[in-house]
Amino acid sequence: MAGIAVLVFFYGSAVFCTIAGLMMIVRYIRAPLHLHWELYRGSSIYELPEWRTKQHPGFSTQLKAIIWDILSLREYYQRNRPFWYFLFSFHFGLYLLILWHVWLFVAAGTMPGAKPVWGIVWGHTATALVFVGSVGILTKRILNKDLRLYYPPIHYAKWVFVIVALAGGFYAVFFYFGGDSASVLAYVNHQLAFELESKLRAPGATSAHLLIVAPWLIYLPFSHIMKLFLRYYHQLRWDHKPNLTGSDVEKQVIELLNKRVSWSAPHIQSGQKWGEVAVSLPNKTEAGVD
Amino acid sequence: MARRRLGDISQYPDEQLSNLSAGDLLPLPHPCGRADNITPIKPLTEEQKRKYECSLDGVCAVGITKPWSKEEQDRLIESFLNGLRKLLSRENNWTFWQQLVLTLEACSRCQTCNDACPIYLASGKQEIYRPTYRAEVLRRLVNRYLKKGGRILPKLRGNDVELSWAAIARLAELAYRCTMCRRCASWCPLGVDNGLITHELRKLFSQEMGIAAKELHELGTVQQLKVGASTGITPKAFMGIVRFMEDEIEERTGKRIKIPVDKEGADILLVHNSGEYLSWLENPEAFAIIFEAAGLSWTLSSELGGYEATNYGVWYDDIQLARIALKQSEIARKLGVKKIVVGECGHSHKALIVIADRVFTEETYVPRESCLPLLEDLVCNRKLELDPSKNDFPVTLHDPCNIVRLMGIIEPQRKILRKICPQFREMEPHGVDNYCCGGGSGFAIMSAMNFPDWRAAIAGRMKLKQILDVFKDVIDPGVKKYVGAPCSNCKGQLRDLFSYYQVWEQCGLLYGGLVELIVNAMVDIKKPFIEWEWR
Repeated sequence: MAGIAVLVFFYGSAVFCTIAGLMMIVRYIRAPLHLHWELYRGSSIYELPEWRTKQHPGFSTQLKAIIWDILSLREYYQRNRPFWYFLFSFHFGLYLLILWHVWLFVAAGTMPGAKPVWGIVWGHTATALVFVGSVGILTKRILNKDLRLYYPPIHYAKWVFVIVALAGGFYAVFFYFGGDSASVLAYVNHQLAFELESKLRAPGATSAHLLIVAPWLIYLPFSHIMKLFLRYYHQLRWDHKPNLTGSDVEKQVIELLNKRVSWSAPHIQSGQKWGEVAVSLPNKTEAGVD
Repeated sequence: MARRRLGDISQYPDEQLSNLSAGDLLPLPHPCGRADNITPIKPLTEEQKRKYECSLDGVCAVGITKPWSKEEQDRLIESFLNGLRKLLSRENNWTFWQQLVLTLEACSRCQTCNDACPIYLASGKQEIYRPTYRAEVLRRLVNRYLKKGGRILPKLRGNDVELSWAAIARLAELAYRCTMCRRCASWCPLGVDNGLITHELRKLFSQEMGIAAKELHELGTVQQLKVGASTGITPKAFMGIVRFMEDEIEERTGKRIKIPVDKEGADILLVHNSGEYLSWLENPEAFAIIFEAAGLSWTLSSELGGYEATNYGVWYDDIQLARIALKQSEIARKLGVKKIVVGECGHSHKALIVIADRVFTEETYVPRESCLPLLEDLVCNRKLELDPSKNDFPVTLHDPCNIVRLMGIIEPQRKILRKICPQFREMEPHGVDNYCCGGGSGFAIMSAMNFPDWRAAIAGRMKLKQILDVFKDVIDPGVKKYVGAPCSNCKGQLRDLFSYYQVWEQCGLLYGGLVELIVNAMVDIKKPFIEWEWR
């Protein structure tokens, strides 16, 4: 019974997570070109005469900043240090935990019979970091007036789920598998083998853990860290491409100016194309002027 | 009593959500602290209260008349909902859809941005001015009324703000309690932009419901497109001003300059905020003196709209923004100039050079640049003969948000001041971390009912504190001091702020542009260009 539940809910949630994540990415990729609205952290090319002809920061510069920002959450470090301690612990631990799971799958297939102690230390350290982070964040969310203010009640459940999932994972590794990396790898190896029998007769400890992880996987595509990735990959920070004659940007602008305007205020000639409305002037009545 | 719950915005239509009192406000340094003993904001008259929606905080910026019937209220609520749908549609709101969706979806409610907001801090942390407040109200309305299943378990999911006319009227006013300085956005680790929420709310009200601050729409963009300038200056009046400038330059400097107007094929079309022609004529005069001394090929335009850099559309209406930007480029193309250079006007820097970049096509495109790199080149590469000792008085620099944080032009103005002002000192914080003057997003020109009081007492308070702090060692009015503000609207706000707190009388503080300091340092101009007189 537990095995069937795992098959349906865990693998179902993993598939959902992948599909929903991809749909979110596609949704942002297909977003229409928007007007320039960036913010600057320092000097930009607008400080230079003939800025249109100058080079903007290259992709490698952006990539370095992205990786550093996401790994260190440095903006929280600079702006909200008390919150950063727990956020950093949670997110850094989570990355380690995700990598640990990847390692489990790789090692289970490539290191049969191996018994690396560091593998278990890695898993427990990551679990401890995520645990400290999530308990800290949950506590601050409950006790701090500002953090509590607009936080929807349902979001507290998210942190409870994380904590319970961690406890389940820790129980499975430390107690069920006795903290033995070889046993954990052997279990993962069975999962990789796609043997339906072993999945249907899955142990209670791992089944319970996976079932608790399932809702969290469903939530993951809608998480804030996902939005952080999208923020960078979708040019909200580095959208410097000037609109030069003959450029891709100009082609997209021409397309957008052909869209129909449907706003209803009197000064807008609703129904016409954007490009037409933008060069026509409203008369006195249309402008909403008495 | 002050209402703190988010849901209260849709309740208690006859009560004010927030009551401002002098004791709540951020204390000001000597000698302006004394002004706090008086009521900071003049109450509205009974007649105004009867006629206009003012239940947000007792202040009226937009002046929305109260609906006369239940049917009218229902129509307005339906209109608001339609606007909200359009705001969230890629087709109707391609201009800002992506940023808006990110802001609505990504906020983690960590409140990190709160301490970045000068209005929230200056007001003594009034809940309704919290930068996340209006965004959270909008987010909850979107989640409840536009998303499938939004009304299921609303309290548990945080979708508990109900739509009512009271909420809409308060949101309309609330959209005019933020200067869109976007300091909160630059603080947000997730890129959430609560300044954009202000922009989008104003847009919804303007583009769907026809509600906007009169000074921005009727007297602003509509007048500019019709008459030629938001100040009402017509082409004929403009030519008269140019002649007057030539005479005044001769009087002040002994030099007779022929200011080029409508010169075809010039390298530069220089555009100023037309407010300069009305209130600070010395600014365009200083530009003319500098450009002539440097031997630049430049011109002004006398065509309808060609002598006006402002584009108030950037603060409330994408269509009006595009109309004005396209008009400006059309005039430049007709003159055959190589580029438009924007004078000391912050919002038109951002509007014309950056934001409107994506409404131009091959038929309408014209290169656009800031005046600051050009001035830096002239000053720092010794293309003008300058004597810094002529500016030997304490000077500080006010950074217009649109030029620094929103455009990344930080250093040219500083290089100029370091070169020509021996007593130049920086306010803290400055550059991209600057505080808004309190006149941003159109506030500097908005003067309905008791709004000017709010603007001086709340919106400009942090800036005034910064200015007083930076000059605290020379605060005596006997020592003349200068706040350089390369932005027309910032100057308008500083003028009102200094008047409100009698800063000139109490501290000897004058404000002005950057080019006036350059001309004041020019060796061949014998008489001081800066006149230490309050105007």
